[in-house]
Amino acid sequence: MNYSDLLIQGLVEGCIYALIAVGLTLVYGLLRILHIAHAGIFTLGAYVGLLLTNETGSFAAAFVITVVAVGFFGMAFYRLFYEPLLDKPPHVALIASIGLFVAMEEIYRIVFGATSISFLAPPLKDTVEVAGVRLEEGRIAVVVLAVVLIGGLAVLAGRTRIGIAWRATVSDAAMAESFGIDLARVRYINFFVASALAAAAGVMVALLLNQVIPTMGGVPAYKALAIIVLGGLGNVKGTLIAALALGVIESFGTIYLDRVLDRDAIAFAFLIAILMIRPQGLFIRR
Amino acid sequence: MDALLSIAGVSVRFGGVDALADVGFDVPQGALLGLIGPNGAGKTTMMRAVTGMVRPQAGSIVLDGVEISRLPTHRRVRLGLGLSQQIVRPFAGMTAAENVALAAGYAKTADPLRALATASRTAERERAGALLDLVGIADAADALPAELPLGYLKRVEVARALALDPKVLLLDEPLAGLNTGEAARLADTVVDLNRQGTTVVLIEHNLSEVMRVCRHLVVLDNGRKIGDGDPAEVMADPAVRDAYLGAAEASGEARDAAA
Amino acid sequence: MYEISLLTVMSFSVIFALSLNLITGFCGQISLGHAAFYGIGAYSAALFTTDGGSFWLALPLAMAVAGFFGFIVGFASLRVRHDFLAITTMGVGFLFTGFVRQQDFLGGEEGIAGIPDPGIGQIPYMLLCAALAAAVIAFSLYLKRSWMGHAFDAIATDEDTARTLGIDVARYKLTAFVFGTALAGLAGALFAHYVKFVEVESFDFIESISVLAMVIVGGIGSVWGVVVAAAFLSVLPLLLQVFADFKLLIYGVLLFSVMYFAPGGIDSLMRMVWRRISGRRTAA
Ligand SMILES: Nc1ncnc2c1ncn2[C@@H]1O[C@H](COP(=O)(O)OP(=O)(O)OP(=O)(O)O)[C@@H](O)[C@H]1O
Ligand SMILES: [Mg+2]
Repeated sequence: MNYSDLLIQGLVEGCIYALIAVGLTLVYGLLRILHIAHAGIFTLGAYVGLLLTNETGSFAAAFVITVVAVGFFGMAFYRLFYEPLLDKPPHVALIASIGLFVAMEEIYRIVFGATSISFLAPPLKDTVEVAGVRLEEGRIAVVVLAVVLIGGLAVLAGRTRIGIAWRATVSDAAMAESFGIDLARVRYINFFVASALAAAAGVMVALLLNQVIPTMGGVPAYKALAIIVLGGLGNVKGTLIAALALGVIESFGTIYLDRVLDRDAIAFAFLIAILMIRPQGLFIRR
Repeated sequence: MDALLSIAGVSVRFGGVDALADVGFDVPQGALLGLIGPNGAGKTTMMRAVTGMVRPQAGSIVLDGVEISRLPTHRRVRLGLGLSQQIVRPFAGMTAAENVALAAGYAKTADPLRALATASRTAERERAGALLDLVGIADAADALPAELPLGYLKRVEVARALALDPKVLLLDEPLAGLNTGEAARLADTVVDLNRQGTTVVLIEHNLSEVMRVCRHLVVLDNGRKIGDGDPAEVMADPAVRDAYLGAAEASGEARDAAA
Repeated sequence: MYEISLLTVMSFSVIFALSLNLITGFCGQISLGHAAFYGIGAYSAALFTTDGGSFWLALPLAMAVAGFFGFIVGFASLRVRHDFLAITTMGVGFLFTGFVRQQDFLGGEEGIAGIPDPGIGQIPYMLLCAALAAAVIAFSLYLKRSWMGHAFDAIATDEDTARTLGIDVARYKLTAFVFGTALAGLAGALFAHYVKFVEVESFDFIESISVLAMVIVGGIGSVWGVVVAAAFLSVLPLLLQVFADFKLLIYGVLLFSVMYFAPGGIDSLMRMVWRRISGRRTAA
């Protein structure tokens, strides 16, 4: 592999991390909860997307339905599990979230089986050449999706009423409420968006690997946590930069660091090194 | 100069706000110094700079001949500072007496391994009981902070600071939340302690008590020092009247009216 | 014999859970990577005895090595707080597994097999583990009552205020990390010489969460609650096949439901029952 290969692979991975991590950082920014179970929602997206594709034969239709349905699932998840814990000390929600994630993985194992499921007819597997590098269509789709979804969100956050309400709530919930913003509604929408993004990432990972297993959420989830911490907990821009940077660093690190650490530990080596220098993450929350 | 606590050129900036700009004053051994100024003047920030809870951008703080401005908070406390904070911070899981006893055990908590070697709390419990009695809330000894009103918590905070046997006692609005009688009693207690040798810096909005007990005033306004000296003289200064008294008398009257 | 294995497993699990309770419960420093130190103890003891070293020396060695790494991690943890600390410690767990997987001298993915038997027989080994567990329980109970316990308590509640009372928060936290990780190392060494085989999966994130579950279910900071929770949760998979099949599901649901319904864990339930009983007695 040459450098441009590694760089492009890294950016593709980075886009997936970004799709997962943005949702996580949105939840943190609004509720101060490290939403570990976000990874369970990611895996749910992967299962639903793959099964729907196999059922309907249309990947595009399955993708859209999955993203919307899992978005609503996220809202229900928030209502049922997190809302009652909001006024408890912070470790309560954290540990509850870990419990939920572990339970979700187990439920997937029980319902879908421990072995992997694959697409009957794997979509987007043709390759095209971009900048001298041969790439699968699926990888290109990941990048396009990340840009469209996250870019679209940024535009919505800046231009629409609900976007403005959302930003006001993130910066000062009490103040926002005093201006008549409906906090509950903002939180529901927040969970919808976060979960929909995670589902999109889940479907795309299922596509790239052409398999779904109950534990597939684990590693990206933990890395997404590292990413949002690096990005400065709750800082969306910082999270995006950290996600792309990590994708690229891992991609190069696999070549150079392989003897010392396996790929999945690189994120954390990087994270710990950075936190020692900047205990609040690379980008302090604004 | 034999100032026990000597503060010079302290500046603290929060973002764009100059909370303190080049402020300095001396606290002589045995003084009972009032540090006053309108809301947001920088009094609490000065207290926090002295104890090391905020890092000044510039300045020197010398306690009993030792430059402390680079030391961590716990070292400064062990060199002889005792702090009672404006916003009370009792340990929620401990009773009032346990809160004070923890401070009274400062010799035992100096080193983790020595702390592990001792379990007896009898002496510290007695000390805590005596101090709670001194500040007038012996009845609250076994109550948890959540069960106590603000006026009590303020005095737990003061007793906890006293338990450290400080050379300099820093009191940030200890009288807030107390009724007139309670405030006068606690002020008298502070005077007694001062007579017995404890140097005191008292931040207060309750001006009548300040004028009654303090023998030296430092006035801050907008992060700058605008007065320093004998209470009567300082109060007579037109600059102090302008910057401070207008606002303070208005709020003082409001407070009296409310009481 | 069956009961002997149960008691042995219970004993080192109690030590492991109490070791985390010291850091997270007493001193208030959350750790999501505690299994790494269990692993460090297990691996260092295993390497030592497979190389011909004495089992009796392996125990203090495991404590020293785990405590040494605990000191380093504790030092790093001083710079971060709360959620940052949770993620940092989680990262430490991943660093440990990620490192071990790539190291030939640690057996890589395969692990280390053929760890020699301590050679004292099953029952004495069980008694040894139980005696050590009892010692760790006694130590925990004493520590909680000592001045170190009070200082930990203050730090766990509000470390900034603890500083204003002259408490050297950093040194106390480091002490908690060293004690807690050294005890985890001891538990790891006992585990390794019980199963006689170590592999990296036994010390992964799930294991860190399992031991956290014991502390949470028992009641953060409570000695007896954690002992009861660790004893039960560690042997339930051995006792009940359903539990073995659904162990993680049950852990997950337990973690969530304890946080949701009874954040004080078994400890607060025991207290409630006790209050009922003594209340009735005084009423009668
Ligand atoms: N942590 C902080 N971050 C930003 N600004 C701060 C901070 N602490 C204090 N300030 C600002 O510094 C200035 C001085 O505040 P300080 O609390 O020292 O005033 P004070 O004299 O104690 O007032 P009060 O009588 O109301 O207690 C104020 O403008 C305040 O808003
Ligand atoms: Mg103040």
